[in-house]
Parts: sequence; C-alpha cells; structure tokens
Amino acid sequence: MTSRIPNKIADLPNSSPRFIGQEVERVEDRQLVSGKTEFIDNVSLPGMLHCAILRSPNAHAKITSIDTSAAEKMPGVIAIITGEDAKRWTQPMQTVPEGWGTLCLATDRVRFVGEPVVAVAATSRYIAEDALDEIIVDYDPLPPVADTQKAADAPPIYDEHESNVVFQRKFTWGEVDAAFTDADKVLTDKFRWHRLGANPLECNGVITEWDIIDGTVTTRGSFQSQVNMGLLSAGALGVPSNRMRVISQPHGGSFGGKGGPRGTIITALLSRKAGGRPVKWIEDRMEYLAGGAGQSWDRFYDVSLALKTDGTITGLRVVLLDDLGASAEGFGAVSAAKPLAAFTGPYAIPVAEYDLTLVATNKLPQSPYRGMGPPPHNWALEQMVDLAAVELGLDPAEIRRKNYIPKNAFPYTIASGNEYDSGDYEAALDAIVEMADYKALRREQEEAREQGRHLGIGLVNTIEPGVFDWNAYAIVGSQQTGVPEGATVGIDIMGKIVAKVGFSLEGQGQYTVISQVLADYFKVEMSDVRVVPQDSLSAPPHFGPGGSRLGVAITGAVLGAADRLREKLIRVGANLLQSPPEALELSDGMIRIPGVAEAQIPVAQVAATMLARSDLLPEGMDPNPEATYVWTAAGRTPADDQGRAKSYLTAANACHLVLVEVDTATGMVEILKYFIVDDCGTRLNPATCEGMTQGGVAQGVGAALLEEYVYDDDAQLLTSTFIDYLIPTIYEVPMTTKKALVTPSPYTPLGAKGMGEGAIHTTPAAVMCAINDALRPLGVKAHEVPASPRRLWTLLHDQSVG
Amino acid sequence: MPTPRQISVTVNGTVYESTVEPRLTLADFLRHELALPGTHVGCEHGVCGACTVLWNGRAVRSCIMLAVQTDGTEITTVEGLSKDGELNAIQQAFVEEHGLQCGFCTPGFLMTITEMLDRNPDPSDEEIYDYLGGQICRCTGYQSILAAVRNAIEKKKAAS
Repeated sequence: MTSRIPNKIADLPNSSPRFIGQEVERVEDRQLVSGKTEFIDNVSLPGMLHCAILRSPNAHAKITSIDTSAAEKMPGVIAIITGEDAKRWTQPMQTVPEGWGTLCLATDRVRFVGEPVVAVAATSRYIAEDALDEIIVDYDPLPPVADTQKAADAPPIYDEHESNVVFQRKFTWGEVDAAFTDADKVLTDKFRWHRLGANPLECNGVITEWDIIDGTVTTRGSFQSQVNMGLLSAGALGVPSNRMRVISQPHGGSFGGKGGPRGTIITALLSRKAGGRPVKWIEDRMEYLAGGAGQSWDRFYDVSLALKTDGTITGLRVVLLDDLGASAEGFGAVSAAKPLAAFTGPYAIPVAEYDLTLVATNKLPQSPYRGMGPPPHNWALEQMVDLAAVELGLDPAEIRRKNYIPKNAFPYTIASGNEYDSGDYEAALDAIVEMADYKALRREQEEAREQGRHLGIGLVNTIEPGVFDWNAYAIVGSQQTGVPEGATVGIDIMGKIVAKVGFSLEGQGQYTVISQVLADYFKVEMSDVRVVPQDSLSAPPHFGPGGSRLGVAITGAVLGAADRLREKLIRVGANLLQSPPEALELSDGMIRIPGVAEAQIPVAQVAATMLARSDLLPEGMDPNPEATYVWTAAGRTPADDQGRAKSYLTAANACHLVLVEVDTATGMVEILKYFIVDDCGTRLNPATCEGMTQGGVAQGVGAALLEEYVYDDDAQLLTSTFIDYLIPTIYEVPMTTKKALVTPSPYTPLGAKGMGEGAIHTTPAAVMCAINDALRPLGVKAHEVPASPRRLWTLLHDQSVG
Repeated sequence: MPTPRQISVTVNGTVYESTVEPRLTLADFLRHELALPGTHVGCEHGVCGACTVLWNGRAVRSCIMLAVQTDGTEITTVEGLSKDGELNAIQQAFVEEHGLQCGFCTPGFLMTITEMLDRNPDPSDEEIYDYLGGQICRCTGYQSILAAVRNAIEKKKAAS
C-alpha cells in the first residue's frame, strides 16, 4: 500500500499551515535549559555498579601476564574481566571490510595506546578506578607501525594478514586516460589532512544488564543509532537480536562518534559476571581522546585535474592513502567510500578516477565524523580548482561558474554514479558575490598587500550528499540498499497526538520537526503533539540520525503514517456522515464532504469514535486510531562493479566566501569576514537549518586551523586533553552572514534535502583556499590541515624544515 | 583512605548536611549525592566549562573543585534558575534564539552568563566574549548563543 506523502508544504491538508517551514521554538529546549533532560549519566538503576577500564599505555606490545588478584580482594570490587572473558563470551566486533577487528578487550596483544585491557565493576567509580591501580599487566613491547606512508611495507600488526593494507582498489569512471592525454594542461598537487574528530561535549556512556536466566541483554546509552548498536552488540555477544534491547537516551551530541559497541560489550560481560546487576560506564574525556570514537580522516591526497585552456575541467584523478588505525571496527573503510556520492562536487566533470588505499597502523581505529569522508576530499578538489584558476589566469569565481552542472541538467548523474536531485549553483555564486561585494573585497586585498598585510579570499562551493543509503558503500562490502525509518502516529481519545519513533534527542531538533509536521497535518497546536521514543524492540524499523537523513526520513515516516491514519479516519467518517469514503477528505482538521458546510466532523471526534463507539464503526474495522509507516528513499539502485549507484537521495549545495588575514610574523590566521549562501531545498525549520550550518562552520574552522590528534614516532598520543586538542571557542568561530536559497528536491517529503552535516563540507576548503590566496604572493602553499601557526610559520620562515 | 568529612552547604536555597569523602568532586557531589544532575561533566579537567556552577556567586568549574571546599558556602546550579516551572530571562532567551542544540553544554553557559549579568547588566561585546570564551559548545558555532546573551540583556533591562 502506498502512502500519499506531499512533496510540497502547500499539499498538506491544511489551508494555512502555521508551523512547518517556520522558525518555531524547539519542543526539546525547555527541558534542556532546565537541566532536566535525562542524559545517560543522569540515570541510576537499583543495584547498579560502576565500570572503569584499564587501557594500554603501549602502541604495540604483547601482553605477557595480567594479575588482578589484589584488585579482586578490594572491598566494593564486584567483577573484573580481561581478554580471556572476552574470548570466552564474545566474537570480534564487526569491521568494514570484514576480518580486521578485535575483541572488546585485548587478548594477547595490544595495538594502540588506549586499547582496553581490563575492566572492573565496583560499587562506585572511585573504587573502580582505585582497583585499576592494583592491576599489574606485563607487556613485551613490539615495534609500532606509526608512519602511514610506510605502513604497507611494515611488519603486519595482525598475524592473520599478510600486510597492513586493509583495502586497495582503483575505480575508473569513464575514459580517464584519454581525458588526461587530450588535456591542454594537467595540474597535480598533494594534500595532507591530519587526524581530528567528533568530540561531542558528552562522551560515551552506557548502562547494561545481562539477565542470565532470560538470556536478554538490555543496554541504555548515548547511542546515535540504537538499532545499529543492537545488531553490532548482539553479534559480538552471541545474543539473538530480539533478546538485545537497546534504549537510546538523549545524548549530548554525537557527530558520528556514538556508534561503537565496545562499551556495551564490556559492560554486558561485567554484568554477566556480576550476576546480572546493571553496570554503568561513563567514558571520560581522556578515554575518549585516546581510546574513544573520536578520531577520523588521517589522509594523504595526490590529486590531478585535466583542463582545457578555457578553464573547462575534463577529468579528475584522486589518489588517497587513509590511515584507519589499528582496526576497521565500526564503519572502518566507509568514510573513504562516501566521496563517491559527490566525487566531482558541483562540477560537470565527465570522467574521474579514485585510487584508494587504506592501511592499518598502531593508532586508535577511526570512527565516523560529521560529513563521513567528503570534507577532506572537498578541500583537495576545491584547492585544485583554485590552482587551475591561477595557472590559467582566471578568477576563482569564473572558473567555477564555467564548470557548474547547469540548472536545467537535473536530475544529473555524476561520473561516480550518484544522481543529484536538483540545484542552481550559479544562483548561489551570484548571491554570494553580491552579498559579500566580492569585487570590493578584492580591492581591499590589493590595498592591504600594498601595506604589507596578507589578506586572502576563499570562494568555494560544495555538495552535501543527503539522506544516506547503504548502497553508497557497496565498494567496501555493504550489501544493503535502503535505510528504513519508521514512525507510528496515533490520536488518543482526547484528540491528542502521539508519535512513536526509534531515536532519542541528539541536538538536531527532529522532535520539533515531527511536531511541526503533525500539527499542520491535523491542524492542531504543536503542544498537542507528543513525540515518544521507543526502544529498539518496540519501535518500528528505524535507523535514527546519520548521513544527513533523519530530517527528511522522519518527515516521510510521519507523513506516511498520518496518511494511513487519514484513510482510517475517512472510513469511520464515511459511516458517520453516511457517505461513500471517496466523497470525503481530511482538511483543516476535519473529516468532511467538500462543499457541504455542515458535513464535517473534527478528527478528534472521529478518533474518539473509534475507541469508544464500536457501534458506529464500519463492519470489520480495526478500531485503532493509529498507523505506522516505514519510509525509505525510492529509486535507489544497487551498485555496479565500479561502485556506481543512485545512493544519497539529495544534493544540497553551499557557496562560502571567507576573508582571512595571515600574520606572517606568528603564522596566526584571523577570519575577518565569512559569508554563506546555502540551498538545502525546503527548510523545515529555518532556525534549525541555520544552527546546523553555523555549527558546521565551527567544526570546519576547527579542522582548518586547530584540531589535530598528534602521535609521535612511537605512536604515542600527545594530545590527550582539551588543553592539547583544541576545540574552537567563540574567539575562533566567525559570526557568519547567511542567505538561504530554496531549490526544493523533487523527490522528498515536502521538498527538503539532507543538511545536518552541512558546513563542515565547505568551511575547511574555504578557509584553506583563503589562506593559500593570502600566501600566494609569498611563494608558499599550505598543504596541510590544520594550518596551525607552527605549520604556517615554518612554511614562511624555515622552508628547510617545512 | 582519608576519613569522610561532614559538610554543610546551601544549594539552590536548600541546606544539605552531608558526609563526603575528601576526594569527591563538587560535580559528583551535586549530581550523584544531591540528585541535581543538570550540572554536566564534559572534560573533567576544567577546560570545557559544561560543569560550571555558581559558588558564592562566582562561576566555578565543579569538576575540578572538591565538595569539601564548599562547606559553609552557597552553590547555585541550573536547577536553581527557574521558579515553579517558569524559565528565567536567560533560559527563555536561549529557547527563543535557538541558543542550544544538544543542550549538554547549556547549563554551564547559563551559569556563566548569570554571573556576568549579575556583575554587569550591560556588558560590552568584549566582556561577553571574555566570559563565553571559556565555555565550549560543539554544536551551535556560538552565533545563536551570542544572540541569546543579547536577548537576555534586553529582557532583563525591560524587567528592571
């Protein structure tokens, strides 16, 4: 049965929608500003124990012995587990690609600093941490593999693999060799993106109970996708999927980094050993930085463009070496595969090639981070376009304009196979050039140069693939197409609306979107709608937030469910109004016969009839004023042997223009002006969209200028606190001037596009292009992110080192 | 292990008599002993500011203070800001300006801004940056937080 899901706000059954598309206040916020939201560390269960984890101080070593006897005797210590327990009770955690994982606790060998070795459950966290001091682990150090570029030839860190190459393949889309042979000019450059990562303000946390009699594991936590967490944990624990109950608590941000099952598996084992008592583990920041899900994208790029003299880009070659760290657990290689969804950016580059090598080293395994792979790729591509502009004597704005996919070419299939739904890139460029007064900025730059100041302008544009699909990752082993998201919508006997969903609060305001949509659909107040999260076993099929999809997907789910509910209400209404169902409609909160003024009944009354007047129902009617719909993107295709598929459903676009000043004496970069034109289709809540964009700018500034996990030559982490790993503050993040364009998606509920990852796709490229624009007269290029003061100063003053 | 100590501390206007280990942090005391979990812990080393509370009116980081240090003093936490379910001006301004996303850092921001506006109801941009510069938000990019501060200043002016 298909559902009618409107593609436009105007197609809702409401003659004057008041909420959707408006900057309404968020339903989440009154609780949040009062400190009343139930984050995982606010939850306490009867008999609960507290876990602390002993971690490896070595990057690579054999474990020769573990002595927990003294810790076991300490008052308050209830259970201790080591790799032996993990071997006995669990399987290795899932990896992408398969076969590159470990158990939740190290067994005979540690492979990164921070790897869990022993876990303790005690009556308080303080006692559990005291117990760690009494545990003696003897290590026999091994030579660490620390250098990404030498990893392929280094001794393998897994005995079962012949080398440290996790994945290597070249993808060719079209006649690439011919494009480069026929080019008027070929440009090549190298780029280095250092490790950084999510760092939500709340680290991971989990409480797990293993009911040994019933064979059921219940885990509550700070989980981005509870169904995914359930499958990963059930697989590792050997628990049937319907005996693995996952409850996602509201969480303090994720940005991709709350997907790993390690915490659940460790606490499950401790609970098992403690007779089923609930065990809580709250990750602290130093654990997160060294051993959590917070490191991503450790990349070396070698990029070539084939060009015509007039600036037309005829081919793109990207060689990527990415350092996955000590395993491919969690999403592993996925982030290097994602750029396929927008490989050539907003440009009509007809052919392209991706030569991809992923290696294992003795660093923390990578985790997903907002954007999931494209942000470094976008910087490399945009920096090359700037280089082409310089080489060909074109303005950066004009070379981009020349290569855009034209607005009448949509839907447009890019070389790497994905289809872009809609867009008008030239309009975004025009808007930003006008808004920023680009010509005046160039004059300002010239004047500054005459005064010895080094200003630079970055003007870049990117595509944000939205509404992720598993088929985008077929090249690294994903077998699925489609990502279901379900919702159940019901009306109670008092006419109030309840929406049941499979995800918790994470920060993007999706409960608000659901309330906006349903309030307008049934013409009630937003306060008449209540969103109630369900656990992984009681919710309809779901995934939750991730891959810029939930705003679109949940809008589809609740509209689909609302439409099914409408059909039920009309059947009942037809009985009450003694008319055929085809004659009735839902409009403005009434079930009515169009054109007959008195022939209308409020929806609430029809719903109440279903629950309280069975005598008035059509024969055989299901008397439940509730309906469920599971939305998934239509038209997705399985990938071909080169990974080409219709994958991500939407293509949002953004144009950023930034003016920076580089202080050549210190290497400091100051952002002077920042403009954004953004087009994510219909904006369901413009204030939320603006917040997503600005938050992405902050993380992008962090990426470009500040954030870096530094490992030394022995793969020891040197940035293990927020004193060393620098998160942008209000001083570093520019207050941006923004303008929204709206090119609705022809394919999605209400025309919205995925946009939650947003500006992190664009900001690093914009800032780096601006820095290089400033440096150009000085004859140096910044090739490494972050462009920290030390790096820029070295580049400017000590080129023998740089 | 050092002997637990008796402390008397006033939190959000209520006097609590407690016996605490000397090593118990103020954050853990508030969250787990007094059941006031609105004070969040983001880094446990005094950088992020999520755990900020008012100690005799001064904004302090409760993750790097000990509960025993607060004996005989007054603490205000985020739970002390609203009265009978009514948000105060700063909280209301955050809601209106979308000054939060995940909301985990928000209590720390609210307490820091409370101290700032108690000291100076009309702070300059430089003072606002000075206060907010010690608080980390990973979601918003600060623009809406800045707007919320300015909104709160106007609200408080209008009310006085």
